[in-house]
Amino acid sequence: MKIEGTQKIDAPRALMFAALIDPAVLQKCIPGCEQMEKTGENQYSAKLTAGVGPVKGVFNATVSLEDIIAPEHYKLVVEGKGQPGFVKGSGELNLTDAGSATDIQYTGEVNVGGLIASVGQRMIQATANMLAGRFFKSLESEMKAQAKLPADS
Amino acid sequence: MAEKTVGKPIKRTEDPRLIQGLAHYVDDIRLPDTLHAVFLRSIYAHARIKSIDTTAAQKLPGVVAVYTGKDVAKIGPVPCAAALPDLKVPDHRALASTKVYFVGHPVAVVVAESKSAARDAVDLIEVDYQELPVALDEEKAADAKSPVIHEQFGTNVAYKLTAGEGDIEAALKSADQVIKQRILHKRLAPIAMETRGVLARYYPGEQELTLWTSTQIPHLCRTQVAIMLGMPENKLRLITPEVGGGFGSKLNVYAEEALMGWISMQLNRPVKWIEGRRENMQATIHGRGQTGYIEIGFKKDGTLTGLRYNVFADMGSYFQLLTPAIPTLTGLMLSGCYKIPAIQINVTGVFTNKMSTDAYRGAGRPEATYVVERALDLVAAELKKDPVEVRRKNFPQPNEFPFKTATGLFYDSGNYQGALDKALKMADYTKLRQDQQTARKEGRLMGIGVSTYVEICALGPSAAMPAGGWESATVRVEPTGKVTVLTGASPHGQGEETSFAQIAADELGVGVNDVTVIHGDTAIVQYGIGTFGSRGLAVGGTAVYLAIQKLKDKAGKIAAHLLQVDASTISFAEGKFTSSAAAGKQITIQEVTLAAHVAKSLPEDMEPGLAATSFFEPKNFTFPFGTHIAVVEINKETGEIDFQRYVAVDDCGKQINPMLVEGQIHGGIVQSMGQALYEEVVYDDQGQLITGTLMDYALPKAIMIPHLELGSTETPSPVNPLGAKGVGEAGTIGATPAIVSAIVDALAPYGVRHLDMPLKPEVLWQIINKKSAGAA
Repeated sequence: MKIEGTQKIDAPRALMFAALIDPAVLQKCIPGCEQMEKTGENQYSAKLTAGVGPVKGVFNATVSLEDIIAPEHYKLVVEGKGQPGFVKGSGELNLTDAGSATDIQYTGEVNVGGLIASVGQRMIQATANMLAGRFFKSLESEMKAQAKLPADS
Repeated sequence: MAEKTVGKPIKRTEDPRLIQGLAHYVDDIRLPDTLHAVFLRSIYAHARIKSIDTTAAQKLPGVVAVYTGKDVAKIGPVPCAAALPDLKVPDHRALASTKVYFVGHPVAVVVAESKSAARDAVDLIEVDYQELPVALDEEKAADAKSPVIHEQFGTNVAYKLTAGEGDIEAALKSADQVIKQRILHKRLAPIAMETRGVLARYYPGEQELTLWTSTQIPHLCRTQVAIMLGMPENKLRLITPEVGGGFGSKLNVYAEEALMGWISMQLNRPVKWIEGRRENMQATIHGRGQTGYIEIGFKKDGTLTGLRYNVFADMGSYFQLLTPAIPTLTGLMLSGCYKIPAIQINVTGVFTNKMSTDAYRGAGRPEATYVVERALDLVAAELKKDPVEVRRKNFPQPNEFPFKTATGLFYDSGNYQGALDKALKMADYTKLRQDQQTARKEGRLMGIGVSTYVEICALGPSAAMPAGGWESATVRVEPTGKVTVLTGASPHGQGEETSFAQIAADELGVGVNDVTVIHGDTAIVQYGIGTFGSRGLAVGGTAVYLAIQKLKDKAGKIAAHLLQVDASTISFAEGKFTSSAAAGKQITIQEVTLAAHVAKSLPEDMEPGLAATSFFEPKNFTFPFGTHIAVVEINKETGEIDFQRYVAVDDCGKQINPMLVEGQIHGGIVQSMGQALYEEVVYDDQGQLITGTLMDYALPKAIMIPHLELGSTETPSPVNPLGAKGVGEAGTIGATPAIVSAIVDALAPYGVRHLDMPLKPEVLWQIINKKSAGAA
C-alpha cells in the first residue's frame, strides 16, 4: 500500500528538519507512540499502540533514519511486530522552502501481515491517511509550541 | 402397499431436524472434560522459523499443553493420493518446524481447558521469523528466476504432464484459422457453511481412538489418519456426524484430524478443535487456480479441428489429498460435448506460497468446460456465426454413443441436441436475439450467453481412482419389517437419507419412512469410499439397489419354502411374494422377514437373517450434460449486471428425486454466479491473504440471484441399473461459461470477445466508460 502527500507547516525548514529527526518530537507526534529509545546512531526502538478498525494491539518497532541530507531529505524505515501481526514501512520525506514555511512532501510504502491484513485490509489505507494527518497536526502544534519558547531556552 | 416414490419430488427427510436446529454437527457433540485446541498460524507467506518461545503461553492459567513442530514429528505426513509420473511431493507435516510456506500454515497448537484460554495463550507464543522472498503467481513461480519454495527440489515446478490424442500440430495446421486466448480461472474458496471441526477421544483402557470429524470420506480418512498416527486401523473409529457442506473441501485428510487424535492420546482427555472462519479462509483448501493458454483450430464452416490447452496450475505450497490430480480432470474433459479430432493438454503444476488447491465443486471440470465454451464463443465471434450454430455443428449425434473423445474417454450416453433444443425453446432464443437487436439500437447492453456442457460423474471405475471407485451398501430388513440401509457414501447435504430410502422403499414395497439410512460411522458401516465426484447416487445408490436384489433373492427362496412352491415360480411386487404355481397365495416381505429371523422353518442349508451387502464397481464414468442460457443487461452507469433470464436444461439421466436434482442445480448455479461475478481469493504481493473474511470474500447472496428456470431431459446411463448419472456439480460446470458469455456478448459492441472472471461492476464499468470516452 502506498502513502503519499504534501503538508505545509508554518516553520522554517531548518527547524522543521531538526524536529523531524528528533526522537523526542517524533515520540510526541507519532500517534500511539508510547516509548522511543535510542539504540544506535539514528536507530530507535519504539513501542506503538495502533489499530485498524477492530484490530488493535501493541507493536514493538524498530525505527531507523537513513539517507539523511539536512535539511532536505531523509528516509524513515519502520518495522513493527505485535500480536495483531506485523507492519513494515519505509518512506521518504523531502522538505522544501515555502516562503517562511516548509513543504513536507512524503511518499512511502507500507506492508502489513497477520490479523491486520486479513481483517483490516480494507481499512488500512484510510487508517494510514488518518494517522499521517494526525502526525502532521501534532507536528504543527509542536512547531507552534517551539516558536513560542524564548529563543535562548 | 406403499406408494412408489422413485421419480417423485418428495421432501427431504433430513430437513426437519436441520431446520429446527436439532441436527448434530461436530461442535454439537459435547463430552465431559473436553480440552480445546487453538492453532498459531503463520503470518508470513514464506519464512524461516528461527525460534519459537512458548514459555509464556505454557504458564497461562488453563493451558494444558503447547505443541510445536518438533513435538509432533512422529505424526506421519499428510497424505497425497495422486500418483503422477515424476511428481515432486513435499514432506507435509502436521505443524511447520523449520519453514512456513503460506499465511495460515500451522506453527503451534495450544491445548487448554477453555477455548478462550487457548486463544489467549496463542497470542503469547513468540516466533522469530526470517522472511524469505515469495513465489505467488503460478506462471511466474514456474520461471527459473523465481524464489524457490521447497529448496530440495530446486524449482517450483511440481510436475509436467502432457495428455491427449490425435496429432495436434497437424490438426492446428489443417485448420483454416487458429485462435489463441489466455484464460484465467481464479482461486476460489469453497466456504462450507460449517467450517471444519474435529473432536478426538482416546480410551486408554481399550487403546481405542474415536474421532468425530466433518469429512466427506469417513473410511478413507480413518485409514489415512491411522497410518499417520501409526495405530491399527481397527482401533480407530471415525464418526462423521451432520456435515454442513463440503463442496470438495472435506474430500481430504487434514493435519488437524491426525493432530487432535494424537493430542488426545498424549493427554488421555477429549480434545476439540473447531475451525474459525478466518482459519477456514486460510487453511482449508481452495479450488481452481489456473492460468492457461487456449489454441483452437477450426474450419470456415465452424468445424473444430483441434484444441490445445497449455496450463499453469497453482498447487499452493503443499499437496493435500488430490491437489496435483485436479488439472488432470481438466485434461480429460477438454473435448466438451464436441467432436474434436485432436486434443492436447500440457499441465505445469506449480508450487506457490499459498494454501493448497484441491477439489472444489466440479474439480477441474469447470475449468475444462470454461475453456471449451469460451473457445467455441471465440470461434463463433470470429466467424460471425451464432454461437448456438457453432455448437450444434460439432455435437456428436445421439446414435454415436458411446462416444470416444480424443482425451481417451467413452461418453456413456447423450442427446446434446435434445437438451439444447429444449433450452432454446424455454428461453425463446430467436425472440431473445431480436430483443437484443432492439436493445442495441436503444443503446442498452443486453447479452445472451449459451453454454452446452458435458461433465464426468459417478467417479468412478477403480482403475481410474487412487483408492477404489466402488461404493458399498448393506441393506437389512429388521425382524419388525423396518429396513436399515448402511451406505459407505457418507453424504454432506446430498439428501441420500431420502433418495436411498426411496430406492429401498420402492424395491421392497415399504414406505420411505420405514427405511433408515445410516452413514458416517466406521464402527457401524462397512468400508466405503465417500461422497464426491457426483457419485453418491449413481455409485452408492446403485450399491443399495444391488444389495436389495441379493436380499430379495434370499427372501424369494424363503417365500417359496413357506408357500411350498418352487423358487423359480416366485415373483415379488408391491411388497408381496406370489407364485405362478399357487394362484391366490401370497406372503408379505414382513412375514418372510420374521420367518428369516425366528428361523423355525427355513429352506435346508439356508442361513437365518435377512441382510445383504453389495460393493458396486462401475464399469465407466457417467456423462451428464445440458444447456444453460443466461440473459443479462449491464447498467451502463454502474457496471452492474441484471439477470433478465436464466434457463437451464440439465440431463442427469434417471432422476430418483427431482426435488433433490433441482436443489443441486440451484446451488451449483449460484456458486457459478459467485465465480463468474464476485469470488476471488486474493493474496497481495507479499502473500498476505486479503480476502481473509466474508466481509472481503464476496459470496453471492439471495438478493443477487435471479429466478432460475429449470428444465430437464432424461437420457438414462447404461453404466448402472438405476440409469442415474449424477448432478452434484452440474451447476458449477454448465453455468459459469453461460454467464461470462452473456456479459461478453453484451459488451460485444465495445469489441470485447473475452473477459476474465470475476466480472465485477468495476471491470465492466471501465470497459464501458473507457471505450465511450475513446469514441467521443
